[in-house]
Amino acid sequence: MSEMTVAQRAGAEIAVDRAPFFPRKKKTITGRSIAVLILLTICALFFCIPLYVVVVTSFKTMDQIREGAMFALPNVWTLEAWDHAWNSACSGINCNGLKVGFWNSVAILFPSLILSIGISMITGYALALWNVRWAGAFLFILFICAFVPFQIIMFPLITMTATLKIYGSLWGVAVIHAVLAMPVLTLIFRNYYKDIPQEIMSAAVMDSGSFWNIFTEIILPMSGNILIVVLILQITSIWNDYLIGVTFGGMNGQPMTVNLANLITISTGTTRYNDNMAAALLTAIPPLVIYFFVGKLFVQGITAGAIKG
Amino acid sequence: MSRTKLAGLAAGLMLSVTSFSAMATDLVVYHSWSAPPEVAALNVIKAGIEAKGHAWTDIAIPHDTGSNVNLMSLVTGGTPPNVFMESNPGVYRDIAGMGLGFPLTQWFTDNAIVDKLPAAVAASISVDGEIVKVPQALHIDGMVYYNMEVAKAAGVDPTAWDSMDAMFADFQKVRDAGYAPLAVGSQPFQVGYLMHALVAAVAGPDIYTRLYGAEVDPAALDDPAFAKTLETLRLFANEAGPEAQNRPWNETTNQVITGKALMQIHGDWMKGEWLGAGKVAGTDFGCIEMPGAQAVVVTVDAWGLLGGVSDELKTAELDFASVVLDPAEQAKFAAAKGSTPVRLDAPAESLDACSVEVLRILEDPAQQVQNPHNTADADWQNSIWDVVFNFWSDPNMSVEDAITQMHENYETILG
Repeated sequence: MSEMTVAQRAGAEIAVDRAPFFPRKKKTITGRSIAVLILLTICALFFCIPLYVVVVTSFKTMDQIREGAMFALPNVWTLEAWDHAWNSACSGINCNGLKVGFWNSVAILFPSLILSIGISMITGYALALWNVRWAGAFLFILFICAFVPFQIIMFPLITMTATLKIYGSLWGVAVIHAVLAMPVLTLIFRNYYKDIPQEIMSAAVMDSGSFWNIFTEIILPMSGNILIVVLILQITSIWNDYLIGVTFGGMNGQPMTVNLANLITISTGTTRYNDNMAAALLTAIPPLVIYFFVGKLFVQGITAGAIKG
Repeated sequence: MSRTKLAGLAAGLMLSVTSFSAMATDLVVYHSWSAPPEVAALNVIKAGIEAKGHAWTDIAIPHDTGSNVNLMSLVTGGTPPNVFMESNPGVYRDIAGMGLGFPLTQWFTDNAIVDKLPAAVAASISVDGEIVKVPQALHIDGMVYYNMEVAKAAGVDPTAWDSMDAMFADFQKVRDAGYAPLAVGSQPFQVGYLMHALVAAVAGPDIYTRLYGAEVDPAALDDPAFAKTLETLRLFANEAGPEAQNRPWNETTNQVITGKALMQIHGDWMKGEWLGAGKVAGTDFGCIEMPGAQAVVVTVDAWGLLGGVSDELKTAELDFASVVLDPAEQAKFAAAKGSTPVRLDAPAESLDACSVEVLRILEDPAQQVQNPHNTADADWQNSIWDVVFNFWSDPNMSVEDAITQMHENYETILG
């Protein structure tokens, strides 16, 4: 038993000896790095001050907020504001809380994501890898379109969606998101796909792959990185969108941001800061969660050439 | 979009709305109110509408987020509301241009309502000579709300002030007692509102109308009374410490509520904050018009009705108007929202001390003018806001400088 252990140890040592050995520099904490660390910590704390105030205020009672000590911790920690924001905040005369808008936002998110990413992905793929006539001109026009403010084309878009009978529905919102995201997303996809070697495409065409076959069997499996990037971009922008939702959502499809704005934008009523803070946090949580889980992949995607091209 | 397209759209709209008339009496109500007192007040009307056998479908779009753009997009998109909260005359002109206006002059005459309204309210509901709005609630833009406990502790009696000078003379007493005399917020809109309230109070309704009316008379800027107004504004600015910078009005109100300051001069809507903090008008807080005021500025919240609809919907919309304007409903609504009824004959026993005082002031037609948002050219009004805010923020800017700048702006915008 002990022999074997010795032998094993010897084997292990031999293995180590064989492997190239670079002695690591001993980590020393220099005065300079301490100074940098302290500075960074202070910066981080400084940028966290607003978040601190938002979080702390959401747990206070209105009576304490009226006293005005903004940085004080709550005298009594209470979840009342969170409960109120989620369950009984009013959006107009309907006091069912932000949860109504939350589910509307979720319902808007999925069709919008699928439509906007689907369309621009295929367009980007076609423009990058197939011999499309006027591709350059088309890209140029798309690029110019990316700079047109939404407000300018709002009324024409309303008339168009009304003609298509999708104004005031989830589909109206989804189509508009897809249309408006098209220029930027198409450019992103196109730049990513144009790095795929032409040889792969030639081989695929020779294997008698059609447009759709090549897309589903070759391009799609290679798109992991870029999909993560675009997903994050789109989830954030669709979730945080106010104007498209409020304009095209009609009466029943208003996203969470509209509920939030209804709660917070007070013309002639009282302002309940604790409810507002809780509602703002609730609205901000979903994109935060996404960043938290796939943030690493996002950076990978960017470095893999998604946006740098 | 061209006129013809709009007309075509309007025609299409009318057709589609008419085809829905089988379901009539379901009123789609568009507004910007979500705060608890506002919702309570809306529920008062909703109950009245339901008592008349109609249903209420609610759509709320926040105020000042392009809300009237949104109204127009709902109309353009083919899902127009039936009743909408809107004060801007431009929106009514647009809607009338699309053939969707709902003239109400005849209805107001038949129901003998106009002479029950304060003069400024009656003036505010007409656009181009036709009544098109149903007034819901009113606020005075510059009322003095003061903390009675602080007044007592400092030994001053705001009701005894008969002029601005008397008011400022008492401020030292308040300071000596350890309170801030005046809580103000330095934000462009707050200074702009204070300015037009002061023009009405100090310079009087004549100069006010010449400056903030549909036709601007630049000679009014050279009137000594206008210079006096700016001097008074300077006295207010002197009371604003560094902490007033960009302070929202409701935080300013809280200073008075919590007894740190004696008083605030602002729109009546601050009463909501007082009520929210559980205070009672006439016991915890008092309200008076600006001392020695020649006139007060009245802001009116009003509903518009969408025309070009079926007869059933028209009837339902008029039922809505009659619920809104019912004297008893007016009192109930005002009590819930913290506003003041638009009818002089609203039952006084259900009003609080402040609303009673406001209605008393408004009995005199000569003592009231309209909020500039209803009358003045928007660019001209914005330019006044700019000048007075610079004047407010820069202690070295003289009254003459401000007046010169306003003249220059007039030449650029309207000259």
